[in-house]
Amino acid sequence: MMRALLAQRLRRDWVQLLLWLLGTAALAASSVSGVASAYGDEKDRVEVLAAVMANPVIMLFRGLPSGAGLDAFTLFLILPFLAMMAAFMSTFLAVRHTRAEEEQGRAELIGATPASRITPLLATMIHGTLANLVLTALVFVSFAGAGYDPFGCLVAGLASGAVGLCFLGVGLASAQLVHTSRAANSIAVWVLLITFLLAGIGNALGTPSGDLQRITSSWLAWLSPFGWAENSRPFADNLLWPLGLCVVAALALAAAALALQAGRDTGEALLHARPGRAWARETTFSTPITIVWRQSWGSLLGWAIGGLITGLLATSLGSVLDSLSTNIPAVQHLLDTLAGGGGLGQGMVVIFFMIVGLLAACAGVQTVCRARQDEVHGTAELMLSAPVDRVRWLTSYLLIAGVGIVYVAAAGLLGAVLGVLARGTDWSLAHDALVTAGGQALAAAVFVALTALLFVLVPRTTIPLGWTLVMLGILLGLFGALFQLPEWAVNLSPLVAAPTVVQDAVDARGLWWLVGVVVAGTAASLVLMRRRELAARG
Amino acid sequence: MSSVIHTSALHKRYGRTRALDGLDLAVASGEVHGFLGPNGAGKSTTIRILLGLARASGGTARVFDADPWRDAARLHRRIAAVPGDVSLWPNLTGGEAIDYLARLRGARTRHPEYRAERARLQDAFALDPRTKGRAYSKGNRQKVALIAALAVPAELYVFDEPTSGLDPLMEVVFRDEIARLRARGATVLLSSHILSEVEVLCDRVSIIRAGRIVESGTLDELRHLTRTEISFEADDLSLLASIPAAHDGALTSGRARFTVDSDAVTSVLPLLAAHQVRGLRIAPPSLEELFLRHYGDQMPGTPARGQAAAGERAGGARP
Repeated sequence: MMRALLAQRLRRDWVQLLLWLLGTAALAASSVSGVASAYGDEKDRVEVLAAVMANPVIMLFRGLPSGAGLDAFTLFLILPFLAMMAAFMSTFLAVRHTRAEEEQGRAELIGATPASRITPLLATMIHGTLANLVLTALVFVSFAGAGYDPFGCLVAGLASGAVGLCFLGVGLASAQLVHTSRAANSIAVWVLLITFLLAGIGNALGTPSGDLQRITSSWLAWLSPFGWAENSRPFADNLLWPLGLCVVAALALAAAALALQAGRDTGEALLHARPGRAWARETTFSTPITIVWRQSWGSLLGWAIGGLITGLLATSLGSVLDSLSTNIPAVQHLLDTLAGGGGLGQGMVVIFFMIVGLLAACAGVQTVCRARQDEVHGTAELMLSAPVDRVRWLTSYLLIAGVGIVYVAAAGLLGAVLGVLARGTDWSLAHDALVTAGGQALAAAVFVALTALLFVLVPRTTIPLGWTLVMLGILLGLFGALFQLPEWAVNLSPLVAAPTVVQDAVDARGLWWLVGVVVAGTAASLVLMRRRELAARG
Repeated sequence: MSSVIHTSALHKRYGRTRALDGLDLAVASGEVHGFLGPNGAGKSTTIRILLGLARASGGTARVFDADPWRDAARLHRRIAAVPGDVSLWPNLTGGEAIDYLARLRGARTRHPEYRAERARLQDAFALDPRTKGRAYSKGNRQKVALIAALAVPAELYVFDEPTSGLDPLMEVVFRDEIARLRARGATVLLSSHILSEVEVLCDRVSIIRAGRIVESGTLDELRHLTRTEISFEADDLSLLASIPAAHDGALTSGRARFTVDSDAVTSVLPLLAAHQVRGLRIAPPSLEELFLRHYGDQMPGTPARGQAAAGERAGGARP
């Protein structure tokens, strides 16, 4: 019975899991070659680490410095992201096989067999654990292939897999709390992002060692699985006990999920749904756009809160390091080159607002993907059987996607202004934030237009390809330089090509290209929608 | 009588599959038209084309003398439709979904007339409108869509297997509602695979098989298609010889079975009564049997039945 359940999970997941696993392995392997060519010289690495000590904000986007050795330095750059890949893979896996199955009614089908209610959950736990074991092995191989110390490679692999395991538990537990897989996924992703941020901030607030090559994490980092994984310090200390914390947390969460599952009815959730309104409010619904809004506002709010926090960090954290870095002249020089000639604060705004752009793109793409979900789910059929024109129907989603982008960018800007006010720093940072927020909003609109085009031309690919484009965009933006990709390739990412600030001037960069793609893509998708029939269900 | 729906040589291909293969369907104004066929025959595909949700690969489809693909939104002001498998917005209550669909169709949901009608339907169908969409069962989702369709007057109603999730009590409610629509002069297209439902409700019937209309007419005209099965306890078939109307006589597990044309059932009964047969059972024909009897030799994928005479009778019964 367990074998059948596992075989079904593997059969359903293998392509998807293969992509996650190979993606993680590729990330590890390319970090090895990237570091070897970019920071091959130990002196460079020592300098970079010193710069990181001076500018701890970098640690939000990198790991925990544990020394200037080539291997330990590579892990400083990449470990949090390997762990993040494992975490995303695991939470989605957990929700997909538990709450999503329940929501679709398939759990009832399985529950009526001798497999009953508990065995499928156990099967999902085993399935997720196996996936993380494979991930551990692949990370090990990726680093060991580069000739790194084998035990360190093992610790690195285990650190990634342990975070994955922990988030398997997070996914399983959140699936018990709420009725829909969407809500369960949101909870899990929020936990993931907050703990990721906690580890980053915890490291940034940590204590540097005398030689400026190591940081001792502050207690904040110890609240996060990412912090535990990084504190195993592969290739430097090779500690295994912090990884034990991940396993303990995973077991606790899994036990909680099992206890909840055992005590509740199939289809129910810990948080109960209250009865709602019997009559629609007069103002709420009258056009398709209002219903798209009603469906989307919750998640758009979530993305906007993310934008607000990111914007706040962009200006308030940026100012801390200005004062820090000026104390060490050599570091100051290095940072100036890192920040591309502008002030350090400006550099931080540029980097952080690329994250705001990412969040805005996610908000937009998610809304367009909703059109596809509604089509598959069947509510599109209900709506289009009423006097609603196809083009107008799609326009509603695109408009709300646009509203979402503006919300997130505006929230980022608001955060930036609040940061300036709180710190009493330079108002020019707010100006920089305004320019980059506008540029990134435009970049996010590119993803919306491309996803809309996918939706009209190749409906099946809307959701996977739409999100893949966003992933590629941010990977090029954050890692393009590290992996030493040619400039044209990095510039393919709208997030990179968006207008930005350089010193006191505005650099338009690919402004007109982006505008062109947005206008052409949106117009083409709407025109082609006239010819597109509603895809059959399922 | 003018025709509300008219298709000629309608084709629809999905890749290599031919969902519709030259479908000619005509529905006149003011009639309740049954659209009968087994699963996969093309009923839902036809309805999707008539609603402009899918585009025909060939042939023409006209609804209110307009092209449903190009004029979908305009036509839908005059149409109320209920899909076969209803999905609702997970975070909207049933009541909100009904109001929303009604407003899309131009109703003013604050109007007392609408409110009274919705309340009446809610009551008749015993629906709790305060439940969220995700929590409804299949039958309740169907009720929501039915109430939304019925609460705002339309000229054409399109129901795709409307009673497939309803219990028998609710089927009766649905029949009453169809009767109201008929009395109001509305046109109804009702797809179903349940013959008895169509018999009760419909003025005319079209039977679809493998993407074509194979029979179309009033129920009386189609009466020759329906044959009732009669069986009783017996050791031999001697009695059948004295019933000229009996077809397909067979003796299985201690019961004599035969079929008669449905309009001849009453003429057979006195004879059976005279012989005081025991365990008399009279079963009206199911659609499945009807199809097996008439198209059994052509239908791909239908399991063979132990009715040797089926194929032979088919030829004799065709008009």
